[in-house]
Amino acid sequence: MKTSKTSEPHSSADSPMLIDIDNVSVKFGSDIILKDISLCVHSGEFIGLIGPNGAGKTTLLRTLLGLTKPTSGSIDTDETVIAYVPQRGNIYSSQIPISVLEVVSLGSQGNKNTALQALQKVGLADIANRAFTELSGGQQQRVTIAKALAGNPQIIILDEPTTGIDEAAQQAFYDVLKELDARGITIIIVSHDIDVVLNLVTRVVCLNQTIVYDGKPEDFKIDAYMPSIYNAQHRLLHHHHGEK
Amino acid sequence: MLEIFQYDFMIRALAAGMIIAFVIPALGNFLVARRYSLIADSLAHVSLAGVGAGLLFGVAPILVAVPTTICGAILLEWLRQNRKLSGEISLAILMSGGLALAVVLANLSQGSNTDFTAYLFGSITTTTRGDLVTLAIASVFSLTIIGWNYRSFLHIAFDEDSARIAGHKVRLLNYTLAALTALMVVLSLRIVGGLLISALLVIPVITASNFTRSFLQTVFGSILIACIAVIGGLLLAFYAGIAAGGAIVLAAITLLIASMIWKATA
Repeated sequence: MKTSKTSEPHSSADSPMLIDIDNVSVKFGSDIILKDISLCVHSGEFIGLIGPNGAGKTTLLRTLLGLTKPTSGSIDTDETVIAYVPQRGNIYSSQIPISVLEVVSLGSQGNKNTALQALQKVGLADIANRAFTELSGGQQQRVTIAKALAGNPQIIILDEPTTGIDEAAQQAFYDVLKELDARGITIIIVSHDIDVVLNLVTRVVCLNQTIVYDGKPEDFKIDAYMPSIYNAQHRLLHHHHGEK
Repeated sequence: MLEIFQYDFMIRALAAGMIIAFVIPALGNFLVARRYSLIADSLAHVSLAGVGAGLLFGVAPILVAVPTTICGAILLEWLRQNRKLSGEISLAILMSGGLALAVVLANLSQGSNTDFTAYLFGSITTTTRGDLVTLAIASVFSLTIIGWNYRSFLHIAFDEDSARIAGHKVRLLNYTLAALTALMVVLSLRIVGGLLISALLVIPVITASNFTRSFLQTVFGSILIACIAVIGGLLLAFYAGIAAGGAIVLAAITLLIASMIWKATA
């Protein structure tokens, strides 16, 4: 168990550091959401942030993004360009239509060529003029990735990106993430789907108010690190996957 | 030439209506996208309180209504941003509170009920040259700010967190949009009426969204539909001898129903 300041234990540790989280705590009233979190993120890492409901995953993301102020501690992002892909269903689904190109252009400061190039990277350039709400869940999530890419970010942070998306579309989405990882873009993904995260990322950070594990996915043992919290959930997941 | 154009007051009414048809739906697109459609209704009720105060103290009602309504808009936005009250509750409280204050002040002002009714239901045919000039200046000002910050407003309307991360001045722009809405609502009071103004802010936007696939198309579509509603409503009012504000809103609703039928059968 690692609760002290941690950085990725293998090759990427030699890469430039993009984010330095130093002893961060977040309280809402008397509720402690995050306690003494210290973490370094290096260029090129693919990090899976996992933890049970209420572990503080989304709060940590929001703190990283500057949307929530830490009660104590500091976060140094050193002018790193960070793109954020929020949970699906919360955005762009208004009564008023917004086209795919308009969504992606929001990430490219209005530059249409950059937006189209970003759409090409996720294989959706041919639907640029369609309304966002006309797309399937998987396509919508790839559009939000394109929006993130259009800003030419060093880090992409994704919050539960595959919620409500069918399995085939999830796989296509994860393929896009693997491709971005291969191109050296740093990725932090929050997901409740532990099995998928363990097979996808190069580093796992397990959170439950504080960091309870930070290391390689192959060394992450659910029974050892999260016996009471994850066992039931994990068995269910295995059972669920086994049925398919 | 149509008979309607032989009267100066109708030409002024048409000009005022067209100016409003350009600006109010343009603002409305951003407000509807962020599910804040009722803000115009609430601000209109607050502005009526300002009108009531103006009538009571013998000051030009619009001079009192403009600062009152802008303060109301800033208060609404502050309540929303600081999560003191949920958006819909803030709107409901301001709406009923504004109207209650307006009725009390209008009663205290004694004998000015005709004036007050004009602000409630609109009196577009009494638009003066001065009203037109004020409306035109405020509209150019509002459209310039919207155009200048179009991308920021769009980003905030659909994804406020990402807009904040991208470095847009979200808080300032939210206050700006609320204040611009307040300004245009007040200046439209005498034309469409406090009880009807939100219809022009919302209905053309929803009507246009039945035909469009992008936000920009909806902005231009809603302006076009509002212009058609204003012209249609004024023609109806002139030839049928009915209230212009109500006729404009009914024309807008007719277009909305037609668009919904078109969409359902397309």
